[in-house]
Amino acid sequence: MKGSLVRVSASEFCEREGVSHSLVIELVELDIATPVAGSEVQEWVFDDAGARWLQKALRLQRELELDWVATGMLVDLIRERDRLRRDNDNLRRALARFLVD
Amino acid sequence: MEFKDYYQILGVEPEAETKDIKAAYRKLARKYHPDLNPGDEAEANFKEVAEAWEVLRDDTRRAEYDELRRYGGRRPSDFEPPPGWQSTAGGEAHHFSGDFSDFFNSVFGGGFEQAARGRPMRGQDVEIEMPVFLEETLADCSKPVSYRMPVIEGGRQRHVDKSLKVTIPAGTADGERIRVKGQGAPGMGDAAPGDLYLHIRLVPHPLFDVEGRHLSIAVPVTPWEAALGAKVVVPTLSGRINLTIAPGSQSGQRLRIRGKGLVSKLGTGDLYAILKVVMPTDTSAEVQALWRELAAKADFDPRAEWEETS
Repeated sequence: MKGSLVRVSASEFCEREGVSHSLVIELVELDIATPVAGSEVQEWVFDDAGARWLQKALRLQRELELDWVATGMLVDLIRERDRLRRDNDNLRRALARFLVD
Repeated sequence: MEFKDYYQILGVEPEAETKDIKAAYRKLARKYHPDLNPGDEAEANFKEVAEAWEVLRDDTRRAEYDELRRYGGRRPSDFEPPPGWQSTAGGEAHHFSGDFSDFFNSVFGGGFEQAARGRPMRGQDVEIEMPVFLEETLADCSKPVSYRMPVIEGGRQRHVDKSLKVTIPAGTADGERIRVKGQGAPGMGDAAPGDLYLHIRLVPHPLFDVEGRHLSIAVPVTPWEAALGAKVVVPTLSGRINLTIAPGSQSGQRLRIRGKGLVSKLGTGDLYAILKVVMPTDTSAEVQALWRELAAKADFDPRAEWEETS
């Protein structure tokens, strides 16, 4: 059985989350995700990571009752935190190969 | 079923005003939100807090809940709604996008009850973690997958074991998800089945570290290989290669081996060989004498720059 990398169209995302295309445009303008294909919003396609960031942003906005600018900032900070954690783990693992007890 | 004391969950008095309940919810939501606090415990706590807020924020629902609380609070561990109980507030979430507890579903409707009424409903998606070795990402790779799948029959949920083989496309990276259409839980009525999602986790390798699409490997070399240069055999994910160490190489120096990293959408990455000078453990008198001779003849102070700066 062939598996395929997850791709989500803007329309599919809108239908699943019950949101409008104009909100998806706003989220893209806030740099929460960037479409990997399509020039008009109706043709936009997101990769899995992008679609998950959009979904995460919606959840944070609803559940923490934030405005969109604050949500955009929070997403930036979470993304930065995740990247730093990953880098830190990688550097620790690489360093451990050079350290001798 | 367990009775949920939503006031206790939010740490407020039953007489509290909505604005105070909202303040308590916001504080706890920040503390436990799963996107801010990874981990199952935070997620479980957040679900309880969000569910409590979902009920207490709505005046009609809160009034119904208060009525039940007077009734159900007497037997908190063995709660059943009163015979003929029907909520007028409904179970639709305004705010929280996660799953509700059995308590919420039985009191305010929704969940399995909706399925039990026979409305066509798409099957649930199933997501499982899929460990993949680095070597397996270099080309399309067929892997066996076994998982448990929820099936709803007659309003009751049970689990069914399922096994299949899935081809993972080359270049799949850590954290990506693979969708296998139609292999999730069956739908209700004529509705479509859900999908199976494989959440890819690259298994840490004993030799190679991953940096995006690039790999690195620590290459142990002797002091004389570093000093005089050498050719050493280095493992890669696709077989061994000969690596030339230049004379006068340093410990920690990175040598790039093009095209021996991971396959990715951006092209194949590189392998970085990081030299690690290792001292011999042999302390024979003859070897010691040779080190002493070297110490006497070599004009080298690795801490010279300390003298210049202190």
